[in-house]
Amino acid sequence: MTKTLKRPGGELSSRPLHFIWIVDCSGSMFGEKIGTVNHAIQSTIPEMVDSAQNNPNAQLLVRTLKFSSGASWVTVNPVDIENFTWDDLDAGGVTDLGKAFDMLAAQLTIPPMTDRALPPVLVLLSDGQPTDDYKKSLNKLLKLPWGKKSVRIAISIGQDADDNMLQEFTGNPELVLQANNPQALVKMIKWASTAASQVSAPSSKPLGNKNDNGSSGKLNGEKAATVLDINNIPNASSIGDKDIW
Amino acid sequence: MEGQLKSGAILISESLNKYRVVTLLGAGGQGEVYKVECNGRHYALKWYFKHMATKEQKIILDNLITKGTPDKSFLWPQDLIYNKIEESYGYIMPLRPENFKSIVDMMKRRVEPTFYCLCRAAYNLTSCYQKLHSMGYSYHDISFGNLFFNPENGDVLICDNDNVSANGLDSCSVYGTPRFMAPEIVKGIAKPSRNTDLYSLAVLLFYMFMMGHPLEGKLEANIKCMDIHAMNEIYGYNPVFVYDPINKSNRPVSGYHDNVLIFWDLYPQKLRALFNDSFTTGLASPNKRVTENIWLDILSNLMTGIVRCPACDAEIFLDESKAKVNVAHICWNCNCTVQIPVSIILGKNRVVLTKGAKLFSHHIYSDYNMNTVIGTVVQNPNNPKVWGIRNMSNCNWTYIKSDGIQFAIPIGKSAPIAKDAKINFGQIIGEFNI
Repeated sequence: MTKTLKRPGGELSSRPLHFIWIVDCSGSMFGEKIGTVNHAIQSTIPEMVDSAQNNPNAQLLVRTLKFSSGASWVTVNPVDIENFTWDDLDAGGVTDLGKAFDMLAAQLTIPPMTDRALPPVLVLLSDGQPTDDYKKSLNKLLKLPWGKKSVRIAISIGQDADDNMLQEFTGNPELVLQANNPQALVKMIKWASTAASQVSAPSSKPLGNKNDNGSSGKLNGEKAATVLDINNIPNASSIGDKDIW
Repeated sequence: MEGQLKSGAILISESLNKYRVVTLLGAGGQGEVYKVECNGRHYALKWYFKHMATKEQKIILDNLITKGTPDKSFLWPQDLIYNKIEESYGYIMPLRPENFKSIVDMMKRRVEPTFYCLCRAAYNLTSCYQKLHSMGYSYHDISFGNLFFNPENGDVLICDNDNVSANGLDSCSVYGTPRFMAPEIVKGIAKPSRNTDLYSLAVLLFYMFMMGHPLEGKLEANIKCMDIHAMNEIYGYNPVFVYDPINKSNRPVSGYHDNVLIFWDLYPQKLRALFNDSFTTGLASPNKRVTENIWLDILSNLMTGIVRCPACDAEIFLDESKAKVNVAHICWNCNCTVQIPVSIILGKNRVVLTKGAKLFSHHIYSDYNMNTVIGTVVQNPNNPKVWGIRNMSNCNWTYIKSDGIQFAIPIGKSAPIAKDAKINFGQIIGEFNI
């Protein structure tokens, strides 16, 4: 029996979605903190692959930017999530966050960014205070069209992180996720990794969401980041011994 | 993957069944789905996140379990695991067999159904939603993520039925899925209902047939960043159908919407007309949307109107609008002209009588049963040049020749396909159209 001819056409057209891990690798991250970050982000990759395979609307491109004394791209070019691998990061040096923002800004400019995409997702992980003048660089980043449109999440590691700075970055206090112990850090990284699918193909939007005013069914459009379902952010205070993996 | 429940955990249901957690299958916005085992059989368990495990949801589930499934194609809640108020809970449903694939698999071309199986899947899905609506329910979230189909035969499964509730009741917990939500929901002026389901169904069918979105044309191509504001505009505040006959501002753009450009002309005008109605009048007038029975009438004819290109075997859809004005059917693959074989016309149904073609119960009884075969096209074993229809029903038929002479076609016997002849099927008379 001859096999029926395949229907014509190609895949459903999709837009690129750039997802960038921005990791503080300063000296204060040395030891368990950077170890947990390495473990946790690597562990999210299979789930991100799985999620991308079930998402027909986005082509998920991932990369990593690290900063300490200076900043550099760990992943030089955006990589399809299916080909993305996590290279363990080491910690040492100061916290040149401004430099990281400069490098981000250079990549979120058109070109190299394409002029047609989904909002980029930027996830910043930091445990301390920037040691350079980050404000100017952050302003520059947030003035770029793609910077402005990006969905920004920060994970505040430990008690010494500069939450005000992280809030300046996210533009939304609810997207500064507190991770005061390794278990919380793992959960927050896992939650942040779901942002890509939430941004590109938001799943059924539960009613009674914190973002909703209760009378309107429309997708909340006041802040780009609020497309995320913040109800599902793990509650840091509820994380205890039983969450130890 | 780590979930709320550990493998091996034992859960006792309200009907006192003992379920053992086997593995976590996946997670969504409302909760997690596990494979569980009970008395040697496997089931799926949806376990809600705590903030979604509401009293209202429990009431919906109790009702769904009591009323029972509208059709075997629904992975319907059948048992509840509930301890006490304020604690997470979940429900048991049948497990999806692995040969069922998601529509995302089709969108990503990981599965390749034939046009025939695609039509069957579309028909079966529409029929399922019709049954659901006829019980007074609305589904609230018709979209890629909660339905599956067998690419080999077009059988379907519908899951996530825990959002189903009585139409008009304000107890559902979802608005729907962006790109599938009706404009009035996106704009915040309506909540999910049967009529918004009809919109989502039309979007789903358009995706399945055209491999693109009905509102994504030039206006979408012009948008650089597809963020929530842009989505609200395209799918809510300023929706324009890509083939709107009057407003031509949103035509598909080559390079961005190639699939829609390729597929649109492959289908009969009657199908295109339903999409046109759905996304012009139906955009702003929820109660004028195309209803399931209208879709089913067209989809059943689509299924029985496929002919094969004699040169390359591609599936070609008969388009009556072309046949009426003597426009040739051209193969989309090899560009050769395809002759349309004889059809039998049964009321508003037409079955092209190709080798192996089938008549279904629906063709005689108008019961929308496109599974029960009542007749099939066969060759006369004594004269292979003569083709006929075999009576596979439970009743005798009557053959009416052009000169008025009649004779019986008993069950199991066949009668020739001939010019000007008719068959009286009891409920309806079928006429050959040569």
